[in-house]
Amino acid sequence: MDYFEPKTLREAVSLLARYGEKAKVIAGGTDVLVDMKFKEEPLCLVNIKRIPGMSYIREEKGSLRIGALTPIREIETSSVVRQKLPLLWESAHQFASLQIRNTATIGGNVCRASPSGETLAPLLVLEASAVARFSKGEKKLPFTELFLGPGKTLLGAKGLLREIEVPLPSKESRGAYLKHAVRGAMDIAMVGVAVLVTPDGGGKKARDVRIGLGAVAPTPIRAKRAEKALRGKAMARALVEEAARIAASESSPISDQRSSAEYRRWIVETLTRRGLEQSWRAVTGKEIDG
Amino acid sequence: MSLNIRLVVNGTRHRAKIEPSLSLLDFLRDTLGYKGAKICCNTGECGACTVLFNGKPVNSCVVLAADAAGAEIVTVEGLAEGGRLHPVQQAFIDTAAVQCGYCIPGFIISVKALLDRTKNPTPEEIEEAVSGNICRCTGYTKIIDAIQIAARQLQGSTGLTSKARS
Ligand SMILES: Cc1cc2nc3c(=O)[nH]c(=O)nc-3n(C[C@H](O)[C@H](O)[C@H](O)COP(=O)(O)OP(=O)(O)OC[C@H]3O[C@@H](n4cnc5c(N)ncnc54)[C@H](O)[C@@H]3O)c2cc1C
Ligand code: FES
Ligand code: FES
Repeated sequence: MDYFEPKTLREAVSLLARYGEKAKVIAGGTDVLVDMKFKEEPLCLVNIKRIPGMSYIREEKGSLRIGALTPIREIETSSVVRQKLPLLWESAHQFASLQIRNTATIGGNVCRASPSGETLAPLLVLEASAVARFSKGEKKLPFTELFLGPGKTLLGAKGLLREIEVPLPSKESRGAYLKHAVRGAMDIAMVGVAVLVTPDGGGKKARDVRIGLGAVAPTPIRAKRAEKALRGKAMARALVEEAARIAASESSPISDQRSSAEYRRWIVETLTRRGLEQSWRAVTGKEIDG
Repeated sequence: MSLNIRLVVNGTRHRAKIEPSLSLLDFLRDTLGYKGAKICCNTGECGACTVLFNGKPVNSCVVLAADAAGAEIVTVEGLAEGGRLHPVQQAFIDTAAVQCGYCIPGFIISVKALLDRTKNPTPEEIEEAVSGNICRCTGYTKIIDAIQIAARQLQGSTGLTSKARS
């Protein structure tokens, strides 16, 4: 196995350009090292941890910029994230054990592109973008287009994630991230649901509703039809229940050792409803009525 | 292909030639002989291999040894001072929070890290701190007791025992 510790992004992407599919990027290594032990070693390992200045959380022009090498634990303990992106904070907080959170990076979570990746549904709902470096230059890839399938992103074999840019949601908006797993945070999510609700001026109607679903399709997805059913409407109980059913119908989960597809759909419905209820309660201080 | 690394383990400097795919756990146990970090699941699930990496608890089985170049590592062997056990170790013995013992070095390191972060942990903080450590024997109750006793012990002392090293 060839092994490199590039010191700059330029050096890293030129290695990826040279080795193509034969190269594997390693950041925290919590996914890659397990694969290397139990599947196979890559022909070339590109360890990006020695590239300086890639672990940071910065507020800039209405966005939070998070370096790809930022550990999940840094996100969890960041007061800016907790204040301004509570949805992302919640997913970092529910992410595996402390030991894993100290090692795993957010860039690795995104590039792994696991449908159950903890931070993905929240980032999708927050309409984040991935800033990726290729040998020809940089591209900003919206999360809504980034994921192609399990383990597959627009970065391909030659792109390197440098930064995640998260626009700060409107101050009146409130959200929730709900994870269903057997062993709580330690476990991979059976279903993860991220909800973000922005009320209109009067606080009666939902100006904007975003619903992200994790672990129930080949990629994390937005439940677009459910969102549409709620947008601009007064949040009444029957409508919220209907939207939750629509969200479940938009998911296409698989059956595996963790649970059956039918069970997952049922959990999507329940968590979406709860997420909407919680978010609305946080927005208005009241329960949804009617 | 191999590479040369230098690092500090329990205050002792080491240099070694390693394979780049080697895990920090295999490196500590097999190359340097620190057998206190235990190998169990080898996939980051159980916490038996927990060590401090620049003061923070990590599962050494899912960390590259290469990433430890220039770092300071602490294993359970590094906690006793001059033949005196660390208060966390002593509390585990005093409460008999140990049965087969295999998981214990990992717990001790997680708890040491917790008490380095806060002298007065809440029950939630205690639970969070050891949620990545699995014990198949004790049922955890006595482990939680031990953590509370160790915390009280460290509050009572000058705090030097744990602070001096981190
Ligand atoms: C015990 C255990 C529990 C876990 N629990 C959870 C959980 O609860 N939730 C969850 O979401 N995940 C969980 N995971 C999975 C894993 O920890 C996360 O996916 C983590 O965020 C991966 O980050 P890393 O830095 O360790 O990535 P690595 O393993 O280094 O890399 C992951 C993937 O991303 C690629 N990559 C990394 N960084 C970049 C970059 N900057 N540019 C391009 N490609 C890159 C790598 O090539 C690889 O394909 C768990 C893993 C373990 C071992
Ligand atoms: S041996 Fe490392 S976590 Fe189990
Ligand atoms: S004492 Fe046996 S596993 Fe914990």
